[in-house]
Amino acid sequence: MSYRERPDFDRPTAESIERSRRSMGWVIPLVVVQQGFTIFRHGADLASQLLGIFAWATVSLTILWMLFGLPLRWLPKRDQAILNDEWHKSVSGDAGRWGIAALTVIGCAMMIARIWVPIDAGLAIYGLVNGALIVAVGRYTWLNRGEPDEGE
Amino acid sequence: MNERLANRLKERRGELGLTQSQLAEMCLVSRKTINTVENGIFVPSTVLALKLAQALDLSVEQLFWIER
Repeated sequence: MSYRERPDFDRPTAESIERSRRSMGWVIPLVVVQQGFTIFRHGADLASQLLGIFAWATVSLTILWMLFGLPLRWLPKRDQAILNDEWHKSVSGDAGRWGIAALTVIGCAMMIARIWVPIDAGLAIYGLVNGALIVAVGRYTWLNRGEPDEGE
Repeated sequence: MNERLANRLKERRGELGLTQSQLAEMCLVSRKTINTVENGIFVPSTVLALKLAQALDLSVEQLFWIER
């Protein structure tokens, strides 16, 4: 019987992070939506706001990491190279373009909607930022979906 | 004009008995990259094309060509 050494067992690898990126993609937009309400809720106390901001920052950084493949300094060079390879850069770039497009469309839609409905500034920021993030992360996850079989 | 980058990556990989994972490891890219290049979904950069050709012991022209 053989056991993996503990340092190897604990250390994330390019493959495990890729799996996480795939499985987390669908969850993150939901977390953003959930946490957004805490930040912009009227009458929220300081503790709730701080908690919300912490959650928001964590989720936002995770999304940035997913989209831009920020270098993970504690990983070996090999894993960093795999996580930031050409496919991932291409997918991130495409997702980023979709995010910018969503930002433009949502912003324009809000400007038009203002004619009929008064829009709160906080809600507008929330809708604009999260709309773009959700589209970008959704696109990223869609392009990066499923680990292909060897023969595929 | 309809042009696409064709390749004989899969065929050559088979000849050398390499899996996608092994080739990916040799070129320091993810298996998804190898898979998408093989299937013509993703067009690799010159650097990656050179790395692939080197790993598969072929010239870039032998490995990739433009199909019209």
